[in-house]
Parts: sequence; C-alpha cells; structure tokens
Amino acid sequence: MSKRGAGRKGMRITTILVAIVVGVVAVILCCCILLFLDRYRDAMVQSARTSSSQAVSQVSTTVANYLGDMDQAMELVEQSMLESEDSRDKLLTAFLNFRPDVVAVTSYSPSGVLLDCWSLGRQPREQIYQNLSFDLEKARTASSPYMTAPHVESIFESYYPWVVTMTAPLKEGGRAAWVSLDLSFSSISSYINNIGIGQRGYCFLMDGAGNIVYHPQQQLLYSGLKSENTAVLAGLEDGSYADDTVIYSLTGVAGSDWRVVGVSYVDELVNRNVRDMIRLSLLLAVAVLAAAVLTSWLLFRLLSRPLRGLASAMEDFETDADHFTYRPVGGTREVQELSDSFEHMVLRIQRLMTTVREEEINLRKTELKALQAQINPHFLYNTLDSIAWMCEQGRNAEAVKMVHALARLFRISISKGHELIPIAKEIEHAESYLQIQKYRYKNQFTYTFDVDPACLGYYCNKITLQPIIENAINHGLDLMVDEGHIWVQVMQEGEDILFRVLDNGVGMSQEQLQSILQRGPKDRTGIGIKNVNDRLKIYFGKQYGLSITSEPDVGTCVEIRMPRIQEGDYEAK
Amino acid sequence: MRRNRYAALLLAFLFGVGLSGCGGGSTERQTVALVAKSTRTEFWLSVFAGAEAAATEYNLDLTIVGPETEEDYETQNRMVADAAAAGAGAIVFSAIDYENNAAAVDAAAQQGVKIVAIDSSVASDLVSAYIGTDNYAAGQMAAQAALDRVEGPLKVGLVNYDVNSANGQERERGATDVFLQSGRAEIVTVINTLAEAERARADTAALLARNPEVNVLVAFNEPTSVGAARAVEAAGKGEDVFLVGFDSNVVTIDGLQEGTVDVLIVQNPYAMGYLGVESAYRLLSGQDGEVEQTVDTSTKAVDRNNLFTVDSQKALFAFEKGRN
Repeated sequence: MSKRGAGRKGMRITTILVAIVVGVVAVILCCCILLFLDRYRDAMVQSARTSSSQAVSQVSTTVANYLGDMDQAMELVEQSMLESEDSRDKLLTAFLNFRPDVVAVTSYSPSGVLLDCWSLGRQPREQIYQNLSFDLEKARTASSPYMTAPHVESIFESYYPWVVTMTAPLKEGGRAAWVSLDLSFSSISSYINNIGIGQRGYCFLMDGAGNIVYHPQQQLLYSGLKSENTAVLAGLEDGSYADDTVIYSLTGVAGSDWRVVGVSYVDELVNRNVRDMIRLSLLLAVAVLAAAVLTSWLLFRLLSRPLRGLASAMEDFETDADHFTYRPVGGTREVQELSDSFEHMVLRIQRLMTTVREEEINLRKTELKALQAQINPHFLYNTLDSIAWMCEQGRNAEAVKMVHALARLFRISISKGHELIPIAKEIEHAESYLQIQKYRYKNQFTYTFDVDPACLGYYCNKITLQPIIENAINHGLDLMVDEGHIWVQVMQEGEDILFRVLDNGVGMSQEQLQSILQRGPKDRTGIGIKNVNDRLKIYFGKQYGLSITSEPDVGTCVEIRMPRIQEGDYEAK
Repeated sequence: MRRNRYAALLLAFLFGVGLSGCGGGSTERQTVALVAKSTRTEFWLSVFAGAEAAATEYNLDLTIVGPETEEDYETQNRMVADAAAAGAGAIVFSAIDYENNAAAVDAAAQQGVKIVAIDSSVASDLVSAYIGTDNYAAGQMAAQAALDRVEGPLKVGLVNYDVNSANGQERERGATDVFLQSGRAEIVTVINTLAEAERARADTAALLARNPEVNVLVAFNEPTSVGAARAVEAAGKGEDVFLVGFDSNVVTIDGLQEGTVDVLIVQNPYAMGYLGVESAYRLLSGQDGEVEQTVDTSTKAVDRNNLFTVDSQKALFAFEKGRN
C-alpha cells in the first residue's frame, strides 16, 4: 500500500460488503434456525405423544385380551363347579397345568368359608390366619366377576406370592356361592415389562381407584424409593398429557376398570433430539457463515484487487507523469474497461505534455530569435560608432580588433541556427563581447577567464553568458567609480557543468534580483536573464538553471548549472 | 484489515470445531462391585434385587459377591481387593467385621475406588456414604415392641451374631438400653452365635434349656431369627416366649401367623441395594454433592395384627422374588 493509502481512515468497500453479507446471512440463518427448532420441538412432542399413546393402546389391547382369556377361564371354572367332584378335580388340575399363572382356585360357601382349594402341589393351611383373596362383604355387593387390588397370597404355608384375585358369583343352589382365581403377575408382567417408550419410558397398570395393579418397578414402589402420582392420574380422562418433563398417556382396558398408563420423558424423547438438531443446525449455520465469508471475500477480492492496482497506478501517474508506463490491470470486464480507459487517458495526457513542452521550446526559440533581431542593430550601431570613432582617431589596429571581435560575436550568435554550441565557442563569444564592451567603456573594467579545459568539449546553450555579463556591466560596473573586474569561471561539478560570472560591482538588492529573474523580454531590449533561465529549465529540467547571490557594495555572483552534454544529445529538442 | 479477516475466519473455524467437539463424549460402562455378607438369605437376595434394579437404571456393570458364612471377613477382604484389582470404580460393601475389614477397605479406597457402606459399616474414614438401618434405633424398636406387648417382668435373652459385626452390636446396644431403662426388664443372657439358622437354632435351644425363666427373646438378624423361631417351636414355648426377630423370611412369617414369632423388625433391604448402587453411580459420575453421608432406610415393626395390611405386605414380601 502506498503511504497515502495507509493514512486513510475509511473502511475498504470489501470489508463493508463482506460484513453486510455475513450479517444478513447470519440474521436470516438465526431466524430460520429458531423457527425451525420451534416447529421441530412441537413436532417432536406431538410424535412423542403419539408414540406413547400407541404403545399404551397396544398394552391395553393385550391386557384386555388377557382379561378376556381370564373371563373365559372363569366361565370354564364356573362350569366345572357343576360337575361331579372327580371330574371337577380333573378338570381344574388340567386347567392349572395349562395356566401356570393361576396360583390357586378357591371356592367359598355363602357364609364366606373356604370350601375347596385347588393349587398345584400345595395345600392351604389348616388354620388360615387371614385370607386376602376373599372379602365376603365385597363379594356380596358384587353381582358380576370382579378383580381385587394386588395382594399377597396368604393361604399357603411358606409361599407368599403377589397375586390379584378374580372372584365370580356362582349360580345359586350349589354348595359354593363364589369361586376365585388367584392370578400371579407372570403374564401381565411379560406384557408390560417389555414395553418401552423411549429409553426410560414405561407403562404401568392401575385400577379405577388409582391403586397400582402392576408396575415394572413394583418393588421400587413398595420399598418407598419411587412413587407414581396415581391420585391425580386416576382423575384424568383417557388421552395424552405432556408437561415440561413427562408425557402421560392413559387408556382404559376394555372389560375392566383397569387403565394402562404410559410414562415417557420429554427430555429423552424430545429434548435430546432437539439438542441434536440444535447442534446440527449450529454446525450448519457455522458452515454456511464460513462459506458466506469465504465466497464474499473471494468475490470482492476478485473485484477489489484490480481496483486497488488501478488506484496505485493512478497514484504513480500522479507523482511522475513523465516517466509513467502503464501496465494494464486484469480482472472483471468492468475493471478491464476502466483499465483501458485509464490507459487511453494516460497516453493522451503524456502526448499532450510532450506537445506542450515542444511548443514551449519553439516559443523560446522564436523569442530568442526575435530578441536577437532586436538587440543586434542597437548593439551593432553602437559598436560601429565606436569603430568609426577609433578610425577617426587613427587607432587602426584597435579598430581592426573591434571589427574582428564583432564579426566573431555575430558568427557565434548565429552558429548556423544551432541552439547548442561547444562551450569553447560560447567562451569565445563571451570574450568577444567583453572585448567590445571594454573598448566602449574605455577600460573601466577588467576581466579574467578561468576555464577548466576539460569542459571545453561539452556543449551548452548559445548566448548563455552574454546576457549575464551584460547585466554585470550595466548594473554592477557601470555605476562604479573605481575600476571593476569580471570573473568568468567554468568548471565541472559531479555530472554537471557550472558557469559562474562574478563581479565586484555595487551589487543588487533582493527586489532587483527578483525582478531580473521574472522580467519578460518586453520590458527592455536584449535577451534577459529570465530568458536564459527559462531556456535551461525547458531543456534540462527544473533542477538546472540560474541562481544569483548578491551583496550590495561587494558584488554579484551568477551561477549557471547545466548537465554535461555531448554533441547531439539534445539536438532533437 | 486483511489480518482482521483472517482472524474472523479462524474464529469461525474454531467455533465450528468447538461445537463439533461438544458432540462426542460417550462414556463406557462403569463397574460397581457389591460385596455382601452373604448370598443366601432372603434379606441379601432382596438387597441384590435392589442393586440390580439400580444398575439397570444407571447402566452400570454390577458384580455381586459374598462369602459362604457371615463370619468370614477374610474372604470379604480378598473380595474387596479382587474387585479393586478388577477395575471396579466403586464397591458397595457390607462389613462382617467392623475392625478387621477396615484395612482392606482403606487399601481399595486409596487406589481410588469409591466405597459405599450398606447395612453394616466399617471402621474406615474413606467410606463415602452409609446406607442402611439406623441400627441403634432398630434395636430400641425391637425392645420397645416387647415392652409394649408383654406385661410384668421381662427376662430377656439376646441372640446375637458375630460380636465384631457393627450392626448387630448397635442393635443389641439399642435394645439393651431400652430394656434397662424400662425398669422391669432384665437381660438374663446374651449369646453370640453364628449367622446361620441351624447353629442359631441349636444355640437358642441351649439358651432356653439353660435359662428356663427367659420369656423374651430378641434375635438380631434373619438367620438368628429363623433359628430362634425354630428353637422356640421345637421347645413348644410359642405361648411362653415372646420372640422379636429381624427381617422377613418365610419361616418367621409363618411363625408370626402360628404364634412362635411375635414381632418382626423389618428393614428395607431392597432400598439398601438400590440406594447403595445409586450412590456409587453418583460418586462415579462426579455428582458427589448429591450423595448423602448417611441414609437411614426405613424400618417397620410387624406383628400379627398388622401382618397383612397393605404396607406390611409391601415391606415383608418381595415382589420380584421370582427373579433371583
């Protein structure tokens, strides 16, 4: 990045665009995910309730079938009671063998006394302390078969299984008034234990009053380690009930007051899935965001890099228009079009600049020629006057010298129209001028040349020294009372050549210095110092030209700097 | 500017990795060893049923071991060491010998095994929790049951098991204290028999023969109660001797109905097993805060009058007996 770019405060357009795209994507994603999760949770709860109800109704059907079987068994037992004692015993023994979950069949007299008991390999106690299988009062109030709550079989010695008892009244007239079947839980448990709802969900069986008939964790309930809120559940209609943690499903068992209750855990069935889904969607969101960041970054990079290239090219062009060469920037079509336009512009500007410089040079040349045309006659007839005057006085030798000097001056001034002439010629020109002026000023000043011979072969603009010397004579020495002196020095300094014209005249003030360098040729005749300066700068660049230092009553020093040039170097210009 | 963008990308990447990192974390099954005093009595079968229920619920591997006799603390020590060596994360332990089991338990605990004591504790500071009966209170309850139901002076014979067993001694202390405080009871004799029905029967028969004046017997665990009931029945002293037994066994329940046994102090072995393994699970899964130092499982006095109430049925008769 350029120094100018580093100082800028504003954000790059790519950054802003990436931020906007990512932001928008993030917001949309969030909304979608939230909406989706909400819907998803509802759906999961609904499906959990459905699966719970399905499991429960399945259990209900099997339990109802079981009870139907038991009703049929009871009819069989009732019928057997009408048979003779022998065939009855045989029938019931076969029945008990066939139904291992029937622990005992008992019959009771109208007064509730245990008459007979059939059980495989067991006899009831002689003295039964308390028979939990039969309740006379309840039996008397019931007109049809009924079920008891679970209890311990208490009529045998050293055998206390948990059972439910089904009691049915017998037709009147027989010895027995009631018959009971004690049913162990082996069948029911097999129906219920295997039913799972989710991982931890389960079913249990309760009667209409809310007593638990069978629970897969019955012992846990009996040990007081777990409880079911059956009081509340008994008051609920059949159906599904979901709270924050548990889903209860209730279904009645056909043909009895038993009900199947399904318990399942929201956390397990719903929340885990929802959590998985949240995790998944978050991952997805991150992936999408990352993709968005990446693609927008790539996209905008594609756009911004050539733009930046273009910008830095413009900056380069701004700093140095002359030596700028444009390398086209690749990229999208828009950028290429921009690049092409810029290229055209650069070429046109550079062409324009060249044209302007050429026109400037031409202008100066024309100006120089015009000025030469102006001064020559004036200088010429002054000099001719002086020569005429010398001839009149008979100073023929001096007159000849003057004429020679004048001839040399003009020859060099013209130089076949070349702008650049060898430094030796320029020195000769300056010397001729000084010679003539010295005569004209009647030896009011002297001059010396101090020229580095190595410089003589190089070239310089013609009529560079003459205007300076003219200025030194006019402004420095003319007003002097004493004899003045002019030094002309030529030397090399590094790659440059330095001309120096010094005088010990009256010097110039700061304002005079300024005006000399700015005054146009119109103000006076002759090629002004400004003209010299302008020409040097146009030819060789801004770093070359003329500088004047002056101190009143001490003198003036004019320094001219130009590059060391060989013949032909600048002829094209 | 460019560096910021890379930082943002990196951040997004890390975020993604972090999220996916949350996904895993399945743990393998932990092993819990239950070292019991015995593997035979109904009491212990009920403990095992409870332990297995908890192991199923908490998805643990449960191994159950116990010595042949309830006096063999050396075998128990070996079992504790074996369980620790086999990589058990926790040991649910019931100590036969309060003092002599301590070293083995300490050694296991120092290997990083969590120790949960059930039923009978051990003299170790490294036990994380005790779950069982408040034995002193149970002893008090036994004595009070006799005092409430027997009139006149009480000549008490105590039938206890191993003198080094913490819970037996606690119960005896509770019973003795209540008897002596009543002012009308006298401890005639204390015997320490084996926790094995036949030996207990023989020793109790000898006690009754030696001390014919004894009219109250207290037996402090299931085998001694069974033995005492048989001895009382054999001696034909069902009417004369008031027998307070511990725990539920078909023999003592039969005796309760027939009159040889008068009161049973029923503990909650299923809960001990269940809660013991549950505590072990919590200790292993780092939920130490939820583990109580001492859990008092319920105790219930059952006599002929409340034998078949619903609550007594639940306390006395194991529902899942068929599974063992």
